[in-house]
Parts: sequence; structure tokens; C-alpha cells
Amino acid sequence: MGLGLLASRAMRPLKYSNSRVFIRSIVSKPELQSPEASSAAAATALEPDLPPRSPVGGARVHFPNPEDAIEVFVDGYPLKIPKGFTVLQACEVAGVDIPRFCYHSRLSIAGNCRMCLVEVEKSPKPVASCAMPALPGMKIKTDTPLAKKAREGVMEFLLMNHPLDCPICDQGGECDLQDQSMAFGSDRGRFTEMKRSVVDKNLGPLVKTVMTRSSVPHNFWLNRCVRFATEVAGVQDLGMLGRGSGEEIGTYVEKLMTSELSGNVIDICPVGALTSKPFAFKARNWELKGTETIDVTDAVGSNIRIDSRGPEVMRILPRLNEDINEEWISDKTRFCYDGLKRQRLNDPMIRGVDGRFKAVNWRDALAVVAEVMLQAKPEEIVGIAGRLSDAESMMALKDFLNRMGSNNVWCEGTGAQPNADLRSGYIMNTSISGLEKADCFLLVGTQPRVEAAMVNARIRKTVRANNAKVGYIGPATDLNYDHQHLGTGPKTLLEIAEGRHPFFSAISNAKNPVIIVGAGLFERKDKDAIFSTVEAIAKKGNVIRPDWNGLNVLLLNAAQAAALDLGLVPESSNSIESAKFVYLMGADDVDLEKLPNDAFVVYQGHHGDHGVYRANVILPASAFSEKEGTYENTEGCTQQTLPAVPTVGDARDDWKIIRALSEVAGMRLPYDTIGGIRSRIRTVAPNLLHVDEREPATLGPSLKPEIKSEMDLTPFGSAVENFYMTDSITRASKTMAQCSAMLLKK
Amino acid sequence: MSFTLRAVKVPPNSVNLEEARSRVFEIFKTACRSIPSIMEIYNLDDIVSKSQLRSIIASEIRKNANVTNPKVIDMLLFKGTEELNNILEHAKQRHHVIGQYVLGPQGLVQDLDPKDQGLSSFLKNFYKSNYF
Ligand code: SF4
Ligand code: FES
Repeated sequence: MGLGLLASRAMRPLKYSNSRVFIRSIVSKPELQSPEASSAAAATALEPDLPPRSPVGGARVHFPNPEDAIEVFVDGYPLKIPKGFTVLQACEVAGVDIPRFCYHSRLSIAGNCRMCLVEVEKSPKPVASCAMPALPGMKIKTDTPLAKKAREGVMEFLLMNHPLDCPICDQGGECDLQDQSMAFGSDRGRFTEMKRSVVDKNLGPLVKTVMTRSSVPHNFWLNRCVRFATEVAGVQDLGMLGRGSGEEIGTYVEKLMTSELSGNVIDICPVGALTSKPFAFKARNWELKGTETIDVTDAVGSNIRIDSRGPEVMRILPRLNEDINEEWISDKTRFCYDGLKRQRLNDPMIRGVDGRFKAVNWRDALAVVAEVMLQAKPEEIVGIAGRLSDAESMMALKDFLNRMGSNNVWCEGTGAQPNADLRSGYIMNTSISGLEKADCFLLVGTQPRVEAAMVNARIRKTVRANNAKVGYIGPATDLNYDHQHLGTGPKTLLEIAEGRHPFFSAISNAKNPVIIVGAGLFERKDKDAIFSTVEAIAKKGNVIRPDWNGLNVLLLNAAQAAALDLGLVPESSNSIESAKFVYLMGADDVDLEKLPNDAFVVYQGHHGDHGVYRANVILPASAFSEKEGTYENTEGCTQQTLPAVPTVGDARDDWKIIRALSEVAGMRLPYDTIGGIRSRIRTVAPNLLHVDEREPATLGPSLKPEIKSEMDLTPFGSAVENFYMTDSITRASKTMAQCSAMLLKK
Repeated sequence: MSFTLRAVKVPPNSVNLEEARSRVFEIFKTACRSIPSIMEIYNLDDIVSKSQLRSIIASEIRKNANVTNPKVIDMLLFKGTEELNNILEHAKQRHHVIGQYVLGPQGLVQDLDPKDQGLSSFLKNFYKSNYF
């Protein structure tokens, strides 16, 4: 076959692609046997009159400074991209999705799988696009026979040692390898030797490993998890052992994955080598219904997708939100879902004289509650919202109790006298993504690693990116990045405030200093003094400027910010001691020790957790996965959950219960729909209606009156004892119990 | 189902509304005529009277009083005949007949709590389910 003939054959699909002469061959085409010649011919046939393509995944290009734009050609299209883009990124902007395994936009570039090969004019060999910087005037060709041939070759190598596991593989259906072998795989194998097999590793209760599936030559893609572990999670647990086909991924010295972000390696792994252990063999991904919602296990409000099958939550995956969680979520968020199936309250119950609960119907339960409530004196009625409550139900609770004449409504975890007047005093003013601009951190009584793992990941990212200094005051802990442990309590804080401490100069010399105060301090008696000391530091260290507000509070619970916005603050600090009627709306962590014995306790919630032990009446409510509710995260961004699964048993949504109870008690609340409540919220805290928007605080702390009280010198405690079990859902989860058992053992 | 097919022949279409209307009266009469045997088959004597059954049949027909398309009426007539045949063939059981016709869609559990009278529709719905 002459070269000319070959070339004309290669051109045929391009030139006469809609003529009948063109027959599509499935087996290896002659032009693939001699790719160089055909690509040379194909190059001339490319005309840029193809329909314009839109960028992959809606990618947008941001030009830091316009002079740095360079022009490249992707498949003949001229394209402007900023300097420093890789060829792969340029192709994405041009709307070409390059197959890749080892490349991940948030990890460093490894460039070792060679799946992303493209052709660049005037370069002798195809280049790995993920590792190649785009140069001005580069002519990139993504779908030439040469590139295709190269990918087919790579694919064959990859599949050489890959087991034929798809039918029993949890990744099946969302597996990069499966998809790409549909595109580039050969229909028969040439590999006749024995496939390699590798002993599986135990990576703890969350991540399941099937090492054989990663045992492609040189293990390139597992590399992704190694890079994730060192770069994002900050643990050196996974690494490569051995060489050649004997090489495998291992946790060094069989150490368990100790990171609170370890679950993300499941998403990162493009194949089924690392899969979710609790999800193993439970469902196929195409049978699942995805619901885009919000996580409530901490105050970050990570964006998640709940995958459910029928009435059951099957798994939780992260959703991309650059401002909050990027594309990671913590293990608690990811694996707490089995707690949604255990210990659930499904019927209204009344405690009988024998101390046992008896299931009753709603009519009777509400009648009993209303009767007792009407007998109590208004000032003896107390309502406490739980840490998972949504804004709507907290609004209803507050309105209802106010109508009953009581003003003792608060949200657990906000302490006795929270400062709810100035919004800047309880939210993260810098915003989570804003932390990346900081170059000096002072953490006061907060351990972001356990309190808000995603914030910690942000700080770590900043520390890695621009060597930000981190000073930490509190009990000794491991934060996963280099930090100076300045001290354990208010003493150190005072030293910094008075400028005696060396870290003070670090703050005042920093361009964008950030102070993060933990919400655990809200519970301290001397919290006002602590806060004014911190503000003194902020003032002296120039932390608050018109263009930069670096004074932050890191909240602990999903409900806290909204509760403070809605003004759920107790009237007096000792209302529990004198209470006769306590309404716990999902509040499990309030100290009911001091409650008089004859007090009547109503527990409205979804789990039989701490709150139930003292309750006289149980009203079953729906969990966050079952209702529509508004939550505000620690940076003041309002987001909404959507129901993914139906409620269990006879449970009702929180606000509906309160609305119904108010009618039975004869104090009917004026709203019948969630829209009605929201318009009521508009009059109290309009920012809670601006969904998916971050509402920064308008006024700085300068308006606050000077507080002259003494700080108590007891060191700061840790707000979260056990990262894995912080609320009723996670406490009911078996997976979380296993994790905490592991944590204790260490 | 073979017996139903045998028993229910598909009549020719009604040409106009008049013919359809007379057919409706026809089926009403047939149904009324079979009331005694229905009562016997399903032992209904102690729960309903003949006249009650008659008015139930009439109300079933009146449910579709607004239908004016002869084709639709024909279809409904066919369904009615089929249903009547099923009942007469004893293709149903006693509780079907009672549940479907004697008690109606509210069923046995009727919330006729006198206390419920003054309730808002929100509370009534609340007692029924979470989804409204
Ligand atoms: S990793 Fe992908 S290709 Fe491999 S067995 Fe699992 S589903 Fe199949
Ligand atoms: S994605 Fe480019 S080499 Fe792996």
C-alpha cells in the first residue's frame, strides 16, 4: 500500500464523512498501523469550520492579568488561555475532554499514566497533556489517529493486569477504566500470562481495598490517593512499596488511615481499588436517586449529594462548591448515614407511670403536651433547639413559646449569654475561601481539625501554598500542618494582647492576619472577657481593616448561626433550674442535671439519643435527609436541604409539629406552609432567605461596649471530644462507632 | 378472565348522545334487577338495604354525569357492564363489594371525632400524614 493511498484513506472520514462510501470499520484500521503518515495527512484536512464547542463542565477561564494571555490552537480552533495552563486545561477550555487517569485538578501533577496523550505539531512524539505547559502558538490535536493509537496502547497495558471483576466491583458503572476501555479498549486481549494478584490491605472501617484492581503496571493511578493523602489530608499513610510489577500501594507500617478526610480517596480513585466499605455490595450506582443537599454534622455546611434507593439512604457523596468544601467532605459527613437507620423514633410516645414509653397517636400526644404546657407558668416554660435544627423550625419554636409568654428559647451550644446582636461576633467574617488569602493564623481555643474538618483542610491548603504561620492556643493537638503551640489558655492570650508574646509581631507584620476563635468558648463564664481580649489583639494587630476582616468565630453546629440570627437567646442564664416544662427540639447535649424532678420534658427529634432519657413525651420528627430546611453555615452562607427519602414511621417535619401543637394549645401560629414561615423569617433575619449566598456581617465589632471583666485563667478545653460522634445521627451510626473505637485504641 | 370475555360482548358504538343515554338507563336497570342476587351472593342483607344499593349504583353513574362524548360513555358503559358481570360471577369477595360500594372510599376507619370539628385543615392533614 502506497503512502498516498494510505493518506487518502485517512482523509476519507474527514472529507466525505457523510457520503455513503465511508464504511466504519471496527477492527484496527490501516491508518492506525501507520499513524504518523495518516496524521500528517489528516492535519491538512482539518478545517476550523466545525461547530464551536463549549468548555468541558462549564469551565471558565479567569485571567489574572490580561497581558499573560497566550493563544493556542486546539484541533484548529484559536483559543486564548492564561499563561501557565497545561495543554490538558487548554483542551478543556476548548471543550475537548481528554481521557486521563492520574491527573486530578486539585492534586499535583504526576504525569505517569500517559492516558492523556495528545499530538502537538512539531513535536516528534505525542505528549502527556496534563504535564505539558501550553506554549504560545502551540497547535494541539486531540483526536488524531496517532493520539488514539497511543491511548489504545496505554489502555491495553492498563488492562493487562486488571482483573475481570466488573460484575462484582462496586465501581462498576462509574468507573473511569470501564468508560475508557469502552472508548479505547481492544476487544480481545493479547496477554496470556497469569494476571498479577495482590493481597488486600486493611485500611480501617471506612475504605475497602481491592489491591488487585490497582495492580496495573506501576500503579499509576493509585498515585492519586497517595498525592491526596499527602497534599490535602496531610497524612503520610499511603505510599508505594516495591518496584515494577511488584510495586503496590501500602499504608506505611500498616498504619490505619488516620485522616478525617480519608473517605475522599474513594472518589479520587478512578477505579475500584479503593471503595467505600459500608457501601460495599449494597447497591449499583445506576439504581440510586441523587438529591443535592447540605450536610449538617458540623457548621461548615458541606454540599453533598445523598444517593438513596427507595426509602433508604445508600451513600453520601460530596458536591462541588469552591467556596465551602471544594470537592471534599469529611468522613463524618460521608459515613454517618447508617445512623439515619438506627435508633429512630417513629411514633409519638408517652411515658407511663411505670416509666416505660407507650406509643400513642398524634392527637393524644399533642393533647397531653398542650395540657401540661398550659398549666405551667409562662416563665417556667423553656425551649431548646438542637444542634441539627433548621431555621424554619427554630423560628416556629421561638414564635410559639413567645406566644405562650415565655422568652426562654435558645439553641444548645450557644452558652448562657450569647452575643447575638452583632453578626460579626459569631460568624466567620473572612469566609472559608477567604482563608486562602491569609498569611498568619491565630487559633484561639479551637481545633478546626475536629470541629470543622473542611475549614482545617482550607487552612492546611493555605499553609502549604504560602507558608502561612499558624499559632494555636488550646490543649495540645495535632492539626495536620506545622503550627506553633503558643499556650493552653487565657494567659497566653493576655501576653499576645499586651504585645509581650513573640507571636504578636507575627500577627502585626502579616499582610492578612486571621484570628479564629472557637465556639467552644461560648460555654465559658468569662467568654466576654476572652472576646474583648481577642478584639484587643485584633485592633492592635490590624486584623480588621476596611478591606479585610480577619476576626472569625468558628461555630460548632449546623443550627448555631441561624439560631443566633433569629435571636434564639435565653432570657436568663438559670432558666433550666426553675423550669417546669422543657421543650427539647432535638436538643441532646443540654445538661438536664439541674432540672427539677417534677419538670415535664417533651423531646421532639429523630433519634432516641440522650434527650430521650429524661423525656416524658416523645414527638418523632424528620431528620435532615427527609425534610426541606434552611441552614446557615459558619461563614454566614445560607443553604437548604432537600428531602431525599421519606420520613420514617409516623414522624413529621419539625415545624409542622410545632405548628400543630400551637393550634392544639390554642395559640395558633399564623403560618400553614413552609413559605409562610419563610416570610415570617424575612421579618427577623432576611439573610436566611438568600439561599446559596454568603451574607457578610455589616457592622464590625468596634460598636461593642467595652467589657471590663477578669479572665479566668483555666486553660481552654477541647470542644469536640470525639470527632466521629458529635450529634444524635453520628452517635447512632455503627460506622462512626467503629471509627471512634479505632481512635481510642491509638 | 375467559368467562368475562364470554359474558361481556362489545356492543356497537352509540351513534349519538341519545342512544348512549338510553344505554345508560339500560345498564342502570340491569344493575338494579341484579340487586337481589348480589345481596344473596355476598350476604349483604344485614348491612345494606336494597334501596341503599340502588342509590349507590345511581351515584356511581352520576359520578360521570358530566361526560358528553358518546365514545367515552360507551367506554364507561363497557367498564360498568364488566364490573357488574364480575360481581355477578362472584369474581369478587364480600369485602371487595363492601369496601368498594357499601362503605365508599373513606373505608372503615372514619375519623368522625366530634373534637375534630373546629380544626384547621392544617391540623387535620397533620394528623393524617407528613406530606401535604
Ligand atoms: S475497577 Fe472498573 S474496570 Fe476494574 S473491575 Fe472495577 S468496574 Fe471493572
Ligand atoms: S493524566 Fe496525563 S499522564 Fe496521567
